[in-house]
Amino acid sequence: MRNIIVCTKIVPKAEDMNFDPETKTMKRSGVENQINEADKNAIELSLKIKEKNGGRVVLLSMGPPFFEQYLKIGIAMGADDAILLSDRLFAGADTFATSATLAAAIRKIGDYDLVLCGEETSDGGTGQVPSQLAELLDLPQMLFVSEVDVDGNNLKAKRTIKGGYEIVESGMPAILSIELGINQPRFPDFKRKRWADKEFSLTIWSASSLEIKPELTGTSGSYTIVKRLTEYFTHQRQRISVEGTAEQQANKIMEILREYG
Amino acid sequence: MNRKEIWVYLERNPEEIEDVSLEILGRAKELGKKSDMSVVGVMLGKEPGNLGDIALKHGADKVIFLKDSLLESYSTEDYTKALFEIINKRMPEIFLLGATYQGRDLAGRLSARLRTGLTANVVSLDIDTDGYLLSGVPGYGSKVLAEIICVRNKPQMSTVRPGIFSKKLIPIKAGIVEVLDLDLQGSVSRVRVVSRKVEKHPDLSRAEKVIIAGNGVEGNLDMVAKMADIFGARLGVSRPIADKGKASRELQVGSTGYSLNAKLVLIFGVSGAEHFLPGIANCQTVISINMDRESDIFEYSDYCVVADASKIIPILLREGGDR
Ligand SMILES: Cc1cc2nc3c(=O)[nH]c(=O)nc-3n(C[C@H](O)[C@H](O)[C@H](O)COP(=O)(O)OP(=O)(O)OC[C@H]3O[C@@H](n4cnc5c(N)ncnc54)[C@H](O)[C@@H]3O)c2cc1C
Ligand SMILES: Cc1cc2nc3c(=O)[nH]c(=O)nc-3n(C[C@H](O)[C@H](O)[C@H](O)COP(=O)(O)OP(=O)(O)OC[C@H]3O[C@@H](n4cnc5c(N)ncnc54)[C@H](O)[C@@H]3O)c2cc1C
Repeated sequence: MRNIIVCTKIVPKAEDMNFDPETKTMKRSGVENQINEADKNAIELSLKIKEKNGGRVVLLSMGPPFFEQYLKIGIAMGADDAILLSDRLFAGADTFATSATLAAAIRKIGDYDLVLCGEETSDGGTGQVPSQLAELLDLPQMLFVSEVDVDGNNLKAKRTIKGGYEIVESGMPAILSIELGINQPRFPDFKRKRWADKEFSLTIWSASSLEIKPELTGTSGSYTIVKRLTEYFTHQRQRISVEGTAEQQANKIMEILREYG
Repeated sequence: MNRKEIWVYLERNPEEIEDVSLEILGRAKELGKKSDMSVVGVMLGKEPGNLGDIALKHGADKVIFLKDSLLESYSTEDYTKALFEIINKRMPEIFLLGATYQGRDLAGRLSARLRTGLTANVVSLDIDTDGYLLSGVPGYGSKVLAEIICVRNKPQMSTVRPGIFSKKLIPIKAGIVEVLDLDLQGSVSRVRVVSRKVEKHPDLSRAEKVIIAGNGVEGNLDMVAKMADIFGARLGVSRPIADKGKASRELQVGSTGYSLNAKLVLIFGVSGAEHFLPGIANCQTVISINMDRESDIFEYSDYCVVADASKIIPILLREGGDR
């Protein structure tokens, strides 16, 4: 098995993010970050594939320098290497520009059999990167995958479709997006974490280290423009407290149920 | 001069058109009126059958059917190839797809090949004052809505969340179904479908009454399902219940599941996480039962019942007439 590349995004915890109606932006102060949840599932899956079939697990991320400390958590989980694509030019990328930049890096890493992504992120949450990346790399894609079996150069996967699932097959290399919650990501190994923090050095590539025209990255490489952010869901609820014994509470619920026929 | 066009992808399942495609047609028709564009439904398959007529009744001025035996069932690469060619020839202003598993799989790949912008899972669609498509994309669970445009290229593409718009029967003059014989020379697909298992679930976003089971009632799922049955409600679940395989994904409520439009929703043992909340935002009345008085779910409820669900459920079953 050759390289298994896991695209890993670092995201703010959704519950920490709040909309500031004054500035019409998201308040970021005091926000905790983490490896995107579905990407953790993808890392766990890549480690399982590696245990069975060999290969190297390489984490690939595009984002600001502070991502490094979180990528080291992935290293402590067992990934062999991590590459961070970081450059001011990359800022403001939509999913296409993000995919174009990741694709250039994946070509540079080379020698890979699998590219794993999460099904979607918890911030932008478009789920568009995996299929756009697949197109730009001209690879077969299987999205919303929950199980994978690698046998020689043959890949078998279970993917969710409307109302159920399909078992699909392809050769490698291929791109998969991994369904959120399909496994329990292992905890970072304590010793390995210490090693990662002290001795492991992350590879950082800027725009000039990649074979991509700078105008194809970041804002200038994007096709979509965010005109404005607004607050969503302002629906006010009544928040009536239903007190009493279980019997009394249930009776109140029955009353409302009957009202609705 | 020809009128500009809004295209809508008509997803087949396989013997019907998915509701979301018809929902989008209805909205596209309104946008078309506003901006003087005509609405074209696009379907791929082996034989057109009568599905084209159904699209014409729901807002399409015309239907294009891309016909080839290879297109009988969906494959990312063959569908992308067929659509890429016709879109490049006719260049619609806008191309809308349902944000279903298939729609998202196809839209990403196609937009990258067309080198155009794509917005995801949109919950609002409009035409702005400059004539561009303005689509509302929720982010961070659903705390914010990013209003996004694509000015650099065409078509302006979006995937639209199911259950946001309602399908409407629209009286028409006489629309046409244009059948294009493609004569594709062999499949370009590198992914082979070995087997498929699907069940038909009526669309949860259209249910009037829904009872949702979360992690807090994982052990009582059967009882909650029975209760839904007794009260003529549909069963819904939070994501972890579907993740653990205890219920179909088709029952999942939330940002990666269905958005409900129910009159009444009863929620048992759900904590009210950011990614769950968009699923219940459009419901009329929300009743929540949770053991934890401090639970976030109560901030998004009309009736807040602090109680152990396993005590409440048997009483409701009894009162509902369960023997
Ligand atoms: C509220 C909001 C709405 C947005 N809407 C749109 C939109 O409609 N269209 C659009 O083009 N852009 C949109 N964007 C911008 C988009 O979020 C960014 O382009 C982002 O860089 C990637 O998209 P995503 O987070 O949606 O990724 P997704 O496509 O959801 O990510 C899927 C997987 O791709 C991989 N991946 C994604 N980003 C990275 C990364 N930086 N490094 C490594 N791996 C990665 C991960 O494996 C991830 O799990 C939006 C942003 C916000 C905040
Ligand atoms: C990108 C992304 C997308 C996601 N999409 C979705 C989505 O579409 N839908 C979704 O649901 N989640 C989604 N999630 C997951 C979400 O973040 C939460 O993890 C999930 O909603 C929690 O489910 P829950 O409330 O059932 O479980 P928990 O958070 O475990 O809550 C269980 C609740 O039950 C209560 N409880 C326990 N025992 C009892 C009892 N006996 N009686 C009464 N109450 C009891 C507890 O007090 C608690 O509040 C997504 C996450 C991410 C990152």
